[in-house]
Amino acid sequence: MVDVNKLREKAKEVVSRDDVRLLIGYRPGTYGFRARPAFVLGPDEVDELIFTPACVNNLASYITLEEKLPVPRGEEPDLRKVAVMVKGCDSRALVQQMEEKAYDRDRILVLGIPCKGVVDMAKVEARFPNVLERGEIALEGDKFVLSFDGTREEVAREELVADKCLRCRYPTPLVYDELLDEAVERFADDDYSDVSELEKRSAADKWAYWEEKFSRCIRCYSCRNVCPMCYCEDCVLDRLQPQWMRRSVDISENTAYHISRAYHLAGRCIQCGECQRVCPVDIPLMELNRKFYKDVEELYDYEPGTSVENPPLLSTFKVDDREDFIL
Amino acid sequence: MNGKPKIGVYVCHCGTNIAGTVNVEEVVQFAQTLPDVVVARNYSYMCSDPGQALITDDIANMGLNRVVVASCSPRMHEPTFRKTLLSGGLNPYYLEMANIREQCSWVHDDPIAATEKAKRVVEAAVVKARRLEALDVKEVDVEPSCLIIGAGIAGIQAALDIADAGFKVYLVEKSPTVGGHMAQLDKTFPTLDCSACILTPKMVDVANHPNIELMTYSQVEEIGGYIGNFDIKVRKKSRFVDMDKCTGCGDCAAECRLAGRIPNEFDEGIGMRGAIYLPFPQAVPAKYTIDKENCLFLTKGKCGESPKCKDACKAGAINFDLTDEVVEFKVGTIIVATGYDVFDARMKPEYGYGVYDNVLTALEFERMVNASGPTGGKVVMLERGKKKKKKEGEEVEAPKAPQSVTFIQCVGSRDKSVGNEYCSRVCCMYTAKLAHLVKDKVGHDCEVTVFYMDVRAFGKGFEEFYDRVRREGVKYIRGNPSEIYKKGDKLVVRAEDTLTATPLEHETDMVVLSVGLCPRSDNREIIDLLKLSQSSDLFYLEAHPKLRPVDTASDGVYLAGVCQGPKDIPDAVAQAKGAASAAMIPMASGKVKVEAQTSVVNEETCRGCGFCVELCPFTAIELVEINRMGWPVKVARVNEALCKGCGACAAACLSGSIQQRSFKDVQLLPQIKALGVK
Repeated sequence: MVDVNKLREKAKEVVSRDDVRLLIGYRPGTYGFRARPAFVLGPDEVDELIFTPACVNNLASYITLEEKLPVPRGEEPDLRKVAVMVKGCDSRALVQQMEEKAYDRDRILVLGIPCKGVVDMAKVEARFPNVLERGEIALEGDKFVLSFDGTREEVAREELVADKCLRCRYPTPLVYDELLDEAVERFADDDYSDVSELEKRSAADKWAYWEEKFSRCIRCYSCRNVCPMCYCEDCVLDRLQPQWMRRSVDISENTAYHISRAYHLAGRCIQCGECQRVCPVDIPLMELNRKFYKDVEELYDYEPGTSVENPPLLSTFKVDDREDFIL
Repeated sequence: MNGKPKIGVYVCHCGTNIAGTVNVEEVVQFAQTLPDVVVARNYSYMCSDPGQALITDDIANMGLNRVVVASCSPRMHEPTFRKTLLSGGLNPYYLEMANIREQCSWVHDDPIAATEKAKRVVEAAVVKARRLEALDVKEVDVEPSCLIIGAGIAGIQAALDIADAGFKVYLVEKSPTVGGHMAQLDKTFPTLDCSACILTPKMVDVANHPNIELMTYSQVEEIGGYIGNFDIKVRKKSRFVDMDKCTGCGDCAAECRLAGRIPNEFDEGIGMRGAIYLPFPQAVPAKYTIDKENCLFLTKGKCGESPKCKDACKAGAINFDLTDEVVEFKVGTIIVATGYDVFDARMKPEYGYGVYDNVLTALEFERMVNASGPTGGKVVMLERGKKKKKKEGEEVEAPKAPQSVTFIQCVGSRDKSVGNEYCSRVCCMYTAKLAHLVKDKVGHDCEVTVFYMDVRAFGKGFEEFYDRVRREGVKYIRGNPSEIYKKGDKLVVRAEDTLTATPLEHETDMVVLSVGLCPRSDNREIIDLLKLSQSSDLFYLEAHPKLRPVDTASDGVYLAGVCQGPKDIPDAVAQAKGAASAAMIPMASGKVKVEAQTSVVNEETCRGCGFCVELCPFTAIELVEINRMGWPVKVARVNEALCKGCGACAAACLSGSIQQRSFKDVQLLPQIKALGVK
């Protein structure tokens, strides 16, 4: 675990720099052991920063999400660096964003957090109902330690950790200016067993499965808004001229929305899982994204967000690219 | 927009091509019911003069401002009907074609269903026509100069033609001399005239022509720009010999410590040279070159007390401090004439090339029979890789002539096992020529056998020549040998005579492999520079196999010679002359029209990811920094002179910020909708 004092000290040093405008990190949520993003503008604000297994948010999203307000005439835009704390998975979002030229490397300052896994709040809730709002969680060794109502519960890491962490290939950030802890070796490899299960089903079966999932969608667009790879200033799905899909919430338009989004993420999704985490109606969006992820890896031997030097997959081709799947 | 759309729909019968399957009358009646359609007609051949007159008359009399022609694929006749619109006074981009032939009548049998489909296709075209925009056709000036890459016979011929017409030519050749493969040949089939005799005058001409700037030992490093205005960067590699001072006397080469120890590329490695060399006596320019990979002084920094070549040079031309020179210039057109590599016979290990001394490639044999070659034109048994014993007083035994020579055709051609399905088109005839030369040079008692699959003697005088060679006693056996092995001093060719179904083992002194022509191993360099396409055989792809055989998909870039596909000398020269005249068209007119259906970027929404930049096959898009509400942001920008309107960028853009004119989302989506389920 990252030593919180070291983290705050480093954060203080970073936000005090003249060339840093802002640090994006984590602070405790309003209650319970939830964490939420913190936007630290000065050294006096660093004391609230934390890093716990509850720090699930992918902060890379905020770099591109930040609105660029018009610069008043006669003023210069503030082009100072944005410092950001990232876990291994989140760092891949930075890499992919830079592969796509969202910003240059020298525009950000990365504090890397080697990560042993974050908790899946749904798993905690299932195991210990109604305690999320009044307790704390920490990782000690290979156990999560939950303290609430004066009790202390130790649970094996595997039981509460988010699914994505179970198959995490890159627990240590792939891009950073400073690493806040010892690097962490990968825990396990991804065997895509969940995707293979889904692939085995019949087309009719799959359709019935997704029809039920998509029919729940309320088109809140949380999945899109939280996604670090969805950062077009003007999303095609919002446009009226031409209108690619209607705004009505029905199975046809919902399906078009989710399929379009999955295609827009093919070869780009870095599997941070934020879309699925924030979905208020529990649509298993990562199942869709992971199918593309697996296909891209198998067909093109390409993993998004692993090297800034890689050109984005869908902007390149090789003469010997597989094409046996083309009808 | 010029007011409310008034659309005319013209349905073509195409004889019975369309009308045989599709009820054109019914399609016309249907078209008349579509929104904004003012008139719909049918005619037997819309592309004919009276057919086109229907359109121009209606434009004049009915005030049409959009035209839909329902006929064939736009590939052939879109330009035809664009001209029709233009002559009727309309912007040519107010035309939409509905393909009811290739995509309807030709592929369907059921007349009712085909007619229904034709209606849909016409409706989709009408819906799109309503949203068409007028486009401006821009013209750009053409620089009256041409870059020719490769100075083999094709490049030389193209250079001479263009230069004679009065245009400037930059002729760039990678090796130290012009001439290419033709210079290596002894005689040319079927007339047996001496290759050097007909080629060397042309080689000298390109060096002396006032309109040709010859750059040998040079490589094109960068090509930017577009037709009419290409920016070229060429690296002239250092020869370490001052070109102005070198007299070509050869004193240096004689003195080189490595003389006779480095395989000469020009002699296909069977002859030797030194580190300073002239590839062959008639080389143009007749200037020596130091091979920096081998030169002792350049690799080790030391060559005895001082480099002997430098001491020997009376002209003081040798200068080890010379460096590469990079020159930049502009041209209007480019001809690619980079030629070929011969097939690497090591890929057919059963023939033992590289194992047995006397298994030769035809090009090695060609050098051997050439009077200016390493054996002075004598056909002799080779002892490769052995150093000559030079004992005092010992006479070196003169190499013997072979008593029998066997040729194997189609080595590396028509052979799927090595990935070359194509026929190399020259091997049958050069084999016949070399077989004749064996009889000529070694004597008529030398037994000459040719193993062949088929003899393809298709050209002018070819069959007659093949006949003559057979009458000279050359024995042709139909069969593709399976193996060559050594038995004592002899080589044994194991084969089957497929005409008599007899397996045979043929003993011979020497085997010549008639290797085919392959795309150059460094083909990629030019592809990367010019974004050329390749056909499945990996030769460069022409724009159309029949009607545009010297053009490429890139405007202003033409192909000449074997780089486009195997061909013999007359064909290469013919294509070179074709490429030269094609390149002279824009140069002579001084202006070219550029594609109007180009891509256009919405800089407000572009996020500058650069997918389009990476994907553009014509390097027409670049990222530029703009000021967006005070913030410096990068956005894509299209160079309209370079854009060919392929649409790859528009398909890849995630934010829909890049659109192709005439194929914008707002034009295509209604079109797709019209085709969809009602």
